[in-house]
Amino acid sequence: MNVSVEIETPSRLTTRTRAVSLDRAALHALQCLIAIVAAIAAFFANGQAYANPQADQAPAYVKPSQARAGSLLLRADGDRYVDAPRLGTDIDLTVSGPTLRARITQAFHNPTDKWVEAIYVYPLPHGGAVDTLKMVIGDRIVVGDVKERQQARVLYDQAKQTGQKAALIEQERPNIFTNSVANIGPGETVLVQIEYQEPVLQSGDTFSLRIPLVVGPRYNPAPVVQMVELRPDNTGWGVVTNDPVPDRDRITPPVLDPAQNAPVNPTTISVKLQAGFPLGEIKSHHHQVRIDSDGDNIRIIKLAAGPVPADRDFELTWKPVSTKAPSVGLFREQVAGTDYLLAFVTPPAIEQAEQKPLPREVIFVIDNSGSMGGTSILQAKASLIYALGRLKSGDRFNVIRFDHTMDVLFPDSVPADSERVAQAKAFVDALKASGGTEMIPPMRAALTDPRSNDADSVRQVIFLTDGLIGNEAQLFDTITSMRGRSRVFMIGIGSAPNNFLMTRAAELGRGTYTNIASVEQVEERMRGLFAKLESPVVTGLTATFSDAKADMTPAALPDIYLGEPLVLAAKLDKLAGSLKIEGRIGDRPWIVTLPVANAAEGKGLSKLWARRKIADAEIARTMRQAPPEDTDKSILALGLEHQLVTRLTSLVAIDKTPSRPEGASLTSTELPLNLPAGMEFEKVFGPQRAAPRPDRDASQVRQQYAQAVTGIPAPAMQKRGAPQQVAMAVQSSNVPLPRTATDAELKLLAGALMLMLALGLMAWRRILLALTFLRFLVGRRWALSV
Amino acid sequence: MIRLVFIVLLAAAGLTLTGQGAYIHAKALLAQVLLDRAFTETLKTGRDVKPWPSADTWPVARIDIPRLGAHAIVLAGSTGQALAFGPGHVENTPDAGEPGIAVYSAHRDTHFRFLKDVEIGDEITVTRRDGKAFRYRVTHTSVVRFDESGIDPLSKGRGIILSTCWPLDAITPGPLRYLVHASILE
Repeated sequence: MNVSVEIETPSRLTTRTRAVSLDRAALHALQCLIAIVAAIAAFFANGQAYANPQADQAPAYVKPSQARAGSLLLRADGDRYVDAPRLGTDIDLTVSGPTLRARITQAFHNPTDKWVEAIYVYPLPHGGAVDTLKMVIGDRIVVGDVKERQQARVLYDQAKQTGQKAALIEQERPNIFTNSVANIGPGETVLVQIEYQEPVLQSGDTFSLRIPLVVGPRYNPAPVVQMVELRPDNTGWGVVTNDPVPDRDRITPPVLDPAQNAPVNPTTISVKLQAGFPLGEIKSHHHQVRIDSDGDNIRIIKLAAGPVPADRDFELTWKPVSTKAPSVGLFREQVAGTDYLLAFVTPPAIEQAEQKPLPREVIFVIDNSGSMGGTSILQAKASLIYALGRLKSGDRFNVIRFDHTMDVLFPDSVPADSERVAQAKAFVDALKASGGTEMIPPMRAALTDPRSNDADSVRQVIFLTDGLIGNEAQLFDTITSMRGRSRVFMIGIGSAPNNFLMTRAAELGRGTYTNIASVEQVEERMRGLFAKLESPVVTGLTATFSDAKADMTPAALPDIYLGEPLVLAAKLDKLAGSLKIEGRIGDRPWIVTLPVANAAEGKGLSKLWARRKIADAEIARTMRQAPPEDTDKSILALGLEHQLVTRLTSLVAIDKTPSRPEGASLTSTELPLNLPAGMEFEKVFGPQRAAPRPDRDASQVRQQYAQAVTGIPAPAMQKRGAPQQVAMAVQSSNVPLPRTATDAELKLLAGALMLMLALGLMAWRRILLALTFLRFLVGRRWALSV
Repeated sequence: MIRLVFIVLLAAAGLTLTGQGAYIHAKALLAQVLLDRAFTETLKTGRDVKPWPSADTWPVARIDIPRLGAHAIVLAGSTGQALAFGPGHVENTPDAGEPGIAVYSAHRDTHFRFLKDVEIGDEITVTRRDGKAFRYRVTHTSVVRFDESGIDPLSKGRGIILSTCWPLDAITPGPLRYLVHASILE
């Protein structure tokens, strides 16, 4: 092996001068060898102490880990810069049977010498019931209360003015929340802890949880509808604009261009998984994880490589070992004398009846807007091309593509013959992602049904999108008013889709939601979807309690597709009797009876019931089944009673003692988000000004920042909706390459030269001595002979 | 007498330097043996295995160049510490086989010494820690500054880049890097 060659180097050098001092050289070589072996042993025993010296000399580039800790400067208007607070997030999940409890800790650090207010827009699962807020300042903990939204805002603003530390959690969408933290002192860190409860998702044998980590940039349609109203006082005309996204300012935080910035918002995730049954395969789909066992039925799952940037959903799935997943689950919880029940029932898979399944009319809609750029459009195209390949003769189909414009491939749906399918595949294959996301017109086109009375075929709309729009309500409205006999199947594409929009749209459209986050998942997930589309649907579901009086949710039980469970929550006056669920699988009746008293103990079920009731109320509002005032009243009552964050209630925590000295100004900054993984910045935000050279820009930034911080109150980030110009103090526009030269050769060469010189000098000494001796001898012989 | 002391000191300094030089190589070689073992276990168990107890990194992939009979175990991250033991998988670049460009970096005089023998058209195999192996074909080589690599890890296609210091036979560090570009064989 080479090792011996290298280590022999010293002795090889000495061989040339063997005649001079063989033994001494051998001794040196031996000593050297011993020293090396000892050094290596010491190194592996203690890597730190012997850290490679060349690693310590700071190279001219900065690694992402360092860059993340570097200065993040936001350009406000003009030439001034604001240093943004830094954020780190820890997500701690505990799955116990049918539910999961999440504790999210956000650490806001203020690296500046100013007092700041940090505003962070972040996603939570839309089914999550947010019930706890704690603010940790040093060793003090302030626990938050649920208040009516306006009241909470007023309390927070007061605390902000008087210099008290305060945290406020507001719901912008069921899956978008805003956390505002006021009065973070210079160099200070404030921890904000949020907890929520969520049901675990089940589909077939697979259980899953999905934690979104970033809010994808939303497309907010411009207010196109202008309502002109005559003022009651008859003084003239008044113009009222009807904005499709009235709260656009609140859901458009700045987004960092990944080409210009290292990723931000590092996140750690750990999951304690107690499924309640022996676990088989466990899989994290988008993050590398490490899975450890803690007993037979408990697994601890952690990110393998430490913190990750918050730029994609975390998805974990698990299956029971070898056996089939339980088809029934019944759990109960008693809160304040009231019993709550949560039931999961998966109807059996039943063979298709003898008669042929009805032919289908399938309308495919594909989103090719800018936010689909990058990897998403590839996933969408692959999914659609797969779906086109699954059409059978006798089926009819059509394809619609949209960005801010739209095209319908055929004037009306056409028979799925090979020629038309090939034409459609070519059409899909040629699509490119760019432009805005106007989702209403294509949904209207897809739901327009010229044969609305045709009972001999099934009409299905398969809608592929990332759902990154701000006017969700308009889309729900469209589906509700136009769905007719069509069923809407949503396919969510990309690393951070709008899962709320997908789920609600599928629910209103009586279809299902399938998520595809990578090209690898296309085939498996699409196969699953087609199994659902081609199997009989469980319809006409009703649930009745024999003895107990129950307040059940969902109010109207949805149709159930193959492998999906019916999830039912109920508030009961007593735990007695049975729960009977009836329905039809295809054309066969199906009944199941569950004894209520045998339910197992569960956790947080009351919160899940309340969250689901709130969703029911929101749906009733969308479907105009009840006046908005009534639904709002019941949402508010549920939020306050069960201490949950809703559209109308917020969590607020206020520290009693003021910390910001009077006279010190407060800067408000909105924390920037990562662009979801796989997206292309320019496709979403349009071409940006060419970035100046990083190093030069950084020094300018630092100078200007230094000027800005001297007394001038930093400007608030008011210009929202457009990405802020963001510059990292230390950054580079592409992958910096590490230093890859050791000084081994240099040392070997210099060492060899020195050794040769030393040996040469020694030899020279010998020669001198020999000469002297020779002269002595010669002299003596001469003397003798004379 | 003074001359003798000078000679002894000179010889001692020379030996120390050669020793240090040899130590770098010995460490690089010995680490690869331990890493090979750890990676084999990773492939077998599917877990990340630390190659020795105090290690702060672990093997993530194996690079093979069959024509040269060269191979190396790649470590997570590209800090100076990691690079002393093996090639590093540069942070923020995707895994081999995933869309984008995976970048691996190593010292020109140890683990990537063989890059000087790599020719366009050579095949490179990267085995990931999950056992999946991907084959690449070398398409071209280039020389860039370390801070202007022009590498976009999210660019289209699936490729890898092997990077080391340039010039390959220089003995002092410099700003230039030699890149071997390879794209995936489907």
